[in-house]
Formats: sequence, C-alpha cells, structure tokens
Amino acid sequence: MTHSLHRSGDIESQKRDFNWFMYQTKGVNDKNIRDKALEFIATAEAWHSENWGDVKTGPLTQYSSEEIRKNISDKSRIRGVFTSKEQVIGFLKDIKAKDLGMSVVITGVLSEVLPACREAGVTPHSVNYSLGVWGNKSRLPDDDTLSITTMCGHHMIPPKFVEDVQKQVDNGKLTAEEGAKKLSNFCYCGIFNQIRCAEILNIVSEKKKRDAAGA
Amino acid sequence: MTVINKEKCVGCKTCMKYCTVDAIHYLPEERKCYVDQSRCTECYVCVRQKVCPVGAIETVELDGFFKQFQHVMSDPVENHGVTGVTGRGTEEVKTNDVSGRVKKGFAGFSIDMGRPGLGVFLRDAEKVAMAMAEAGLVFEPPETTPLSALMTDMKTGKLDDACLDYHLLSVIIEGSCTLDKMSDVFRALQKVEKEIDTVFSVGLILRVDENGENPILSELDALGIPQPHRGKVNVGLGRPLSTL
Repeated sequence: MTHSLHRSGDIESQKRDFNWFMYQTKGVNDKNIRDKALEFIATAEAWHSENWGDVKTGPLTQYSSEEIRKNISDKSRIRGVFTSKEQVIGFLKDIKAKDLGMSVVITGVLSEVLPACREAGVTPHSVNYSLGVWGNKSRLPDDDTLSITTMCGHHMIPPKFVEDVQKQVDNGKLTAEEGAKKLSNFCYCGIFNQIRCAEILNIVSEKKKRDAAGA
Repeated sequence: MTVINKEKCVGCKTCMKYCTVDAIHYLPEERKCYVDQSRCTECYVCVRQKVCPVGAIETVELDGFFKQFQHVMSDPVENHGVTGVTGRGTEEVKTNDVSGRVKKGFAGFSIDMGRPGLGVFLRDAEKVAMAMAEAGLVFEPPETTPLSALMTDMKTGKLDDACLDYHLLSVIIEGSCTLDKMSDVFRALQKVEKEIDTVFSVGLILRVDENGENPILSELDALGIPQPHRGKVNVGLGRPLSTL
C-alpha cells in the first residue's frame, strides 16, 4: 500500500506535509505490538502530530486519542501527520532512542525528509520514489481537487464531495477549517493533513473571489 | 454488494456526491438512485459514512472470491486474507529494512493501478502486468502481494479470465528486476500507458546509500522521466536489520 506516496499539488505546500508510520513485519515482529504502538503514539503526540490514527478505528479528527488507543491490536497500523521538518527530526530522534525495533517510514518531499533524517541521526535504508501519474489522465479531476483527494491515498475522499465542500467554503457556509475536518474524516488511516487542506480550500476560494472581482 | 433499496430511496441524490468512482446515478423516470454494478468498486464509503438520510444504501453478501477480492482491495479497513495486511495488502518499502524484499542491485516496482481515484478494471491491470513481465519484471508471490493470487501464469502476468471485468478502486502490481533491466521495464510502461483506459501511479523502490541516494536514478533522464521529488523513506530502524 503506497497510500501516502503520490500526493500532488504545489511543492511548497507539500514541503509542509509529512507522514510518519510505524510498521510491523509479518512473521517477524507482528505479535503483541500494543505497547510499542502506544510508545509511537506518545512520541508523536509529544511532537504535536496534527492528525494520526489507526485504520481499525479511524482518525484523530473523528475519534479521541483514548478511543484509538483502546482498539489497538496486532492488525493495527499506526500513522499520522506532521507539518514541519522540526517535528520530524524530534520524532525520529526520540523513536531512535527508544529502540523499539519496528520499521519507521517518513513520506514527504525528499529535499525535506532526507536532511531531517541526517539531523535526527538515522540512516535511510530504502526509498519508494514517486514517479507520478501515467496513463489516460483525461478523466482526472482538476489539480486543486486532486491535491486534496490524494492526501487520502486509498481514495476514500470522493472528488464530488471535495467540490461540494469547496462550494460551501466559497459561500461562507463552512470555514476552510470546518471543511477540511469534514474531508479528513473520510480518511480512516489518519494521514490526511487537514491543516494543508484548509490552506488549499482558502487559496481556491480567494482565487475565485479575485477572478469574480476581475471579471 | 452495495445496492440502493428502491422502496426506501427518496431520490434526493445526496449519495451521488459521496461515490468515489461516480458509480451512483439517478433515474429521472423513477426518481430513484441506483448503483451501477459494473463500476462500483465495493469501497463501502457510502455505507460506512452513512450518507443516505433514509438508510436506503444496503449491502448484500459478496458472492464469490473475485467479488470479495474487489471489496478487500477497495476498502482499506479490510485485511487481505493471505498477506494479513490492511489497505491493499502489501508491505512494499515500508518493512524493507526487516524483510529485505527489495535488495541491493534490484529495482522494485509498485504500480498503483487506477490511482489517483479513477479505479481500474482488472483487464487493464493485466495489460500493464504482462507488459512489465515481458520486459523482465518478476512478480512478488501471492503470499506477499494480492494481485499475484489472480495470476494464472506468474511468469507472464496473465490473470484469470473470470476476473477481468471486475472494477477495483485500485490494485498494486508489485515486483522487481535487476538494475540492468530497470530501463526496459520503464520503456514497457511508457508503451502500455497509451493502451489502457485508466491511470496508474508509479513507485520505484531502491536500496539507498547513507545519504538516502542511489545513482541509478540518473537513468530516468535518458527515458524522459522527471526526477522524483517525493519519496517514502524507510529510515532503517526496524530490527533485525536487513543488510541485503
């Protein structure tokens, strides 16, 4: 599952968008993971991870930390969001010091993630590089919609729902933050970056207003 | 299988904006919505999010292996029965520091068919898989990647004919080749991308040096493929650490 890899949109915006993951390997360290998962969550919370979750329960934007923690099992996948390189560095330093033996992955713009690894004193082992979207792209939604829907790599966020939320933000029925929260609840994993989403909703709204004023 | 109960449906069309692949339509003559079963991926977003105000969206038993496969691949809440992994049932780079799945001297490919968001008929996944196999890709076994379980020939990537018309939200083609064959596989992808009616997102998995780099990426320039700016970095904290 490469659900965090292929995010799209403005590169500067992507530079404020990181995902962290804890992974267990089948047949090696996939039993009794609960205590280790709780350590990861505690570390991520200490570094103010903006969203996180477990697909077996849902995201922090929808469920309390206690509810998600309570349901952790060996089938859980713990992952979340950071919005700055400093958080990634701090998180990696602390996780390395705890030496939990679980695989750790950070997804993001490489010019940010690799220096963060160096500063944290961890050595990258392997990288899955995103080489973009290929094939018949004529049916894809517009770039702004894609920059939001691709933040849930499992594509649980329907493009028409994004358009609907955008309209409500444009019309003042929802704030961008409220709209972003509604969208984030569709991403069960907790890797949806609702902070970046609100920024995108605002930018699109402002652009529409400028276009209307100039028309 | 996801259906709309016509007795309950009030034709408000609310559900249509919540379908991930536009498989819910409105019948004006009946003033009811219905699910296009040929395009529905059984992702269950409309079900889980309880989007119907009158509870008209219902599920009926997924009959048969391929129908269940379609649902498990399209709904990340489900665990894949064989690999035991949620999402679309693969571990690709995320545990490579322990599993050693993609080794030094090899290029791993993870092709997210149907992504972003268009979905994929398995007949298109088969076309891409067969093109890659012909160029030298060796597929991951069914124990570690779900699509291989549908292959009747692991060497060619041929899928079971009975599955070809199933529409999934996405499915991953996973395998690897030696580095000397990497460009051949990319050329095959460049050819087959013009022969399918959907999209795919390309992931290239490589072992990297202590700076997180691999010089083989320079081969992308000759192929006209832009250098990647995003990556999923396995930071090597898993134990026991694979040095393969």
